Amino acid sequence: MSGLAGTADRRRPRFRRREALLLGGVSGAVACGWVSLASTVAGGPSLGDPSLLLAFLGLLAAAHVVLSLAGSRSDEVLLPVAGLLMGLSLLMMVRLPQGLVVQDFGPLELGLAPLQLVWIGLSLTAATVVAVVLRSDLWLRSYKYTWAAAGIALLLLVFIFGEETNGARLTLRVGPFAGQPSELLKILLVIFLAGYLADNRALLAARATRLGPLRLPPLPYLLPMLAMWGIALAIVVVQRDLGAALLFYAVFLVLLWVATQRLGDLALGAFLFVVGAVVLYALFPHVRERVEIWLDPFATAQGAGFQVVRGLYALGRGGVLGTGLGAGLPGVDGHPSIPAVHTDFVFDALAEELGLAGALVILALYVILAERGLRIASAARDDFRGLLAAGVTLVVVVQAAIIVAGDARLIPLTGITLPFVSYGGSSLLANGIALGLLLSLGDTRLTAPPPPQAIGRRERWRDAAGAVAGRVERVIS
Amino acid sequence: MDPLAISLWIIRLAFLAALYAFLYLVLRALWRDLRANLRGADLSLGRLRVVASPDGIPPEGSAFALDAINTLGRDVNNTVVVDDPFASGRHAALTYRGRSWYLEDLGSTNGTWLNGERVVAPTLLGWGDEVQVGRVRLRLDRPDLPPATR
Amino acid sequence: MSGPPDVPALGAPPRIAPALLRVALALIVVYGAIGAGLSWWQVVEAERLTNDPGDPLLLAAEREGRRGRIVDARGVVLAESVATGDGSWTRRYPHPEAEPILGYFSPDFGSAGLERSFAAELLGARSLAPGGDLLRKLRSDAYDPQDVQLSLDVRLQRTAVTLLKGKRGAIVAIEPASGRILALASTPTFDPNRIVDPDAGAAYFADLLDRPAEASALLDRATMGRYTPGSVLKVATAVAGLGSGAITPQTVYADQPAEERTGFLVEGFRVRDGHHPQTGRRVLDLAGAIEVSCNIWFARAGLDIGGQRFLAWGQRMGFGEAIPFDVPTAVSTLDGGDGFVDEVELANAAYGQSETFVTPLQMALVASLVAERGTLMRPHVVDELRSSDGRVRTIVPEVWRRVLDAGQAETIALAMQQAVEGRLGRRFAGAAKVPGVPTAGKSGTAELGGDREPHAWFIGFAPVEAPRIAVAVIVENGGAGGASAVPMGGELMATWLELAP
Repeated sequence: MSGLAGTADRRRPRFRRREALLLGGVSGAVACGWVSLASTVAGGPSLGDPSLLLAFLGLLAAAHVVLSLAGSRSDEVLLPVAGLLMGLSLLMMVRLPQGLVVQDFGPLELGLAPLQLVWIGLSLTAATVVAVVLRSDLWLRSYKYTWAAAGIALLLLVFIFGEETNGARLTLRVGPFAGQPSELLKILLVIFLAGYLADNRALLAARATRLGPLRLPPLPYLLPMLAMWGIALAIVVVQRDLGAALLFYAVFLVLLWVATQRLGDLALGAFLFVVGAVVLYALFPHVRERVEIWLDPFATAQGAGFQVVRGLYALGRGGVLGTGLGAGLPGVDGHPSIPAVHTDFVFDALAEELGLAGALVILALYVILAERGLRIASAARDDFRGLLAAGVTLVVVVQAAIIVAGDARLIPLTGITLPFVSYGGSSLLANGIALGLLLSLGDTRLTAPPPPQAIGRRERWRDAAGAVAGRVERVIS
Repeated sequence: MDPLAISLWIIRLAFLAALYAFLYLVLRALWRDLRANLRGADLSLGRLRVVASPDGIPPEGSAFALDAINTLGRDVNNTVVVDDPFASGRHAALTYRGRSWYLEDLGSTNGTWLNGERVVAPTLLGWGDEVQVGRVRLRLDRPDLPPATR
Repeated sequence: MSGPPDVPALGAPPRIAPALLRVALALIVVYGAIGAGLSWWQVVEAERLTNDPGDPLLLAAEREGRRGRIVDARGVVLAESVATGDGSWTRRYPHPEAEPILGYFSPDFGSAGLERSFAAELLGARSLAPGGDLLRKLRSDAYDPQDVQLSLDVRLQRTAVTLLKGKRGAIVAIEPASGRILALASTPTFDPNRIVDPDAGAAYFADLLDRPAEASALLDRATMGRYTPGSVLKVATAVAGLGSGAITPQTVYADQPAEERTGFLVEGFRVRDGHHPQTGRRVLDLAGAIEVSCNIWFARAGLDIGGQRFLAWGQRMGFGEAIPFDVPTAVSTLDGGDGFVDEVELANAAYGQSETFVTPLQMALVASLVAERGTLMRPHVVDELRSSDGRVRTIVPEVWRRVLDAGQAETIALAMQQAVEGRLGRRFAGAAKVPGVPTAGKSGTAELGGDREPHAWFIGFAPVEAPRIAVAVIVENGGAGGASAVPMGGELMATWLELAP
């Protein structure tokens, strides 16, 4: 026994060379952006006040160091890519009027950019903690119903106690903190879905139930899953968060298909989507409005369509090379010309100032995230890990696609955030957790199995907690 | 032409260039990984081939690429998941030390067997040796390519 | 192994890795599509977006910037920015008779007319320098306000406005050889200086908006007003007929003299001729029919041309679409936009009733193309753009359509000359003759039904050989064409020939 415990238990710090190199590239690029922004603002070459920049780079370096010390052997591209997105976010937040968001922490009053830095720090912390600490995914997998229930309970809380912004009830305020639980919900539900699908893959792929000409998986297995999702979607739609509903449904469908690989499932899902969309369109005026704005925003350019129209103007102004950081976004009556420019339309703002060239870089970054995440998923040791990695990747990448496509008027605009770039603590936290999950799942280090003899007190507590959670789980399922 | 405006422009372009430089670095890394995958390099230290598996998990005839440390057992977190009623959650470990393979039992209920003999302490094994965990028998095979020296 | 009972035998489910590969590919396709969409907005549509008058950048700059001047063909200033003393600018319009085509620019009420459609140039957001916008961003002063020179002549414009005084109507005067608009008047009109006046502007503008639509002073009747043309449309019918070969200059209709008494029966509807019993038993040819404005002849000609061809030739003259022009224009139709439902509609449309609706600009183009012997030049009112550093962009006259060949157009031109100068024609349109100059034209009385006074129309050009001006005049509810529109046309052409010999 001695040998095994000796080599495997200790994780030796490992120099993550490629990550270091790429982080160097990120630092260089963000620093260039910083200089560009400061120069434009000052009217001439200038460095501005680099304290926020240095703090950000420090956070990135710290995350890298922690991962290295923990001996993580996971993907070395994910952190730099997410880091560059966060860097662009910081640049944009510094560039925007600081008064857009102000929060008081006791005597300290923080504006837009310092707040975003705080959230970035929180996100990176969450990512590294999850990446390093999460070794056994057993507890993720076994309590999938509990996770889902927790998520839905959270959502119900928002529905009852939440605040409305722009007609959508998304925010939950506890004391000085406000958050958007739907962001965390997406992670929880992906965990649930991955667990459920992994456990029941074979059964779901089987065709045991016949519903007329359709062949479906056995009903006892399909129904609970559909019910969970249906509830989540209904709540989200009632809350008027169309973006999240679209995201959940899309991720659900793709994961289901990945698990069962029956094209019929995909077709059925697409059909249900169309039916649902038509029903929603017919029943809900706000859905109709969104679609009308999408079809011809210029018709209501002063009214309902003005958000999209302003966003499009920004895109046009950007052209290929952009107007330069700090030089675009003309103000109208003191506000930036694009509404919600730090959240929903941050991509348009970046596209205006960085041009098509910059916008394509951002798109490429998400594609790269997708590639790395799906690679981790396909190399995963078992189905649960693979599906979880895939689901987490999709939840980030598909969300980005939805909001960018909406900003560019390719699909109706939905009010979801651009992962890692939009302002928002909940968004950054949730995406940070997603990043951490991917890093953890992709970590090819091996954990030694715990020695079978000594059952210490800690284990007894764990077993007790596990028993309680297990009972909850059984009750729900 | 305003020299100030030109300098601002140059800085702007430098920023875009830096973004693309980063993108290039990343894509180069991705490309390398892709090429490695496409070559189908089996850079493992060895392969474990499933000779007999009454319940079908792992499927008979399949082979697993081996890392330096591999665990076998019923638990899903093992390197090789052996879903046999006679296998324990964490049953055995196959480790590569120095230049040799060692098999050890992790305190399983029914014991780990090497070529028919029960394994107690970490035991050396070679190519072609058969390991039995529960009712599943696996054979240690050479990798397709010689392992890179670590 | 325990498990749920009655579960059929299962094979191992397929590995997820290949499915993930397909998901990855799908994502690449999705992002590629997004990238393409972005390129659309940021490359293809970029210019249109940046110069859209609604663009906040433009709106913001417009408040602070000095706009360029608008001048007429001889350099007379029609619109300019004057400093108010507190750092901003206000617009001044020394010649309000240039409204409504000149338009106005007010930070409070927006913009209209040429001030609106050339906002980007006047502001200088769109630069004249080569590689324009790219280089503009390199200059510290981002805006290059340009002066806009019009083809309008304010003297002629003043004449037109004076002629229309007190009435509702429009006048369009165009130079046939180049398509340059010499005058474009619409009454009632407004005084732009009162709109931009900071004190009285709001009240004045509110009052302007308050008026009922038919009496609106803000409407540019010349380009946006759609009226029943009456007999002036016969020129267009002649163009369509000759062009399509359905009729020739010698075409006659044997029954036409008799039908002038009894009416021409088309599917139960009787087409009647209103004004000219003078031709007695004479069978009219094309020239004759134009000279006396014979409804019967044109109704029959219309039927011979047929609905399809009539529309097709109408399109060649500019009907059925918004005429490309420097300010927005309305669409003129021969069929109300929904096709000719029956022969009755076609027959009536051929002499300018039924569902024909035309803008004065469109009729001026019809006159212009006949004047220019079959070539229709693109109408434009802006001649030149000049930037402060001396760069000039000239709008070169351009052939828009070649509608008829010279011989066919000549026939119509001569016929129109007869309509003004001929023994019978001069009873209707004689007042349009410019003394000492061969003049061509056509009067029109557009019946509106009920007891409303018909619209009075006149289109014409002078001199007949190498015409220098073509006009279209409409006086709303002006009665018979000869009464009001015709003398206006004549005087306008006479004025121009004096001003620019």
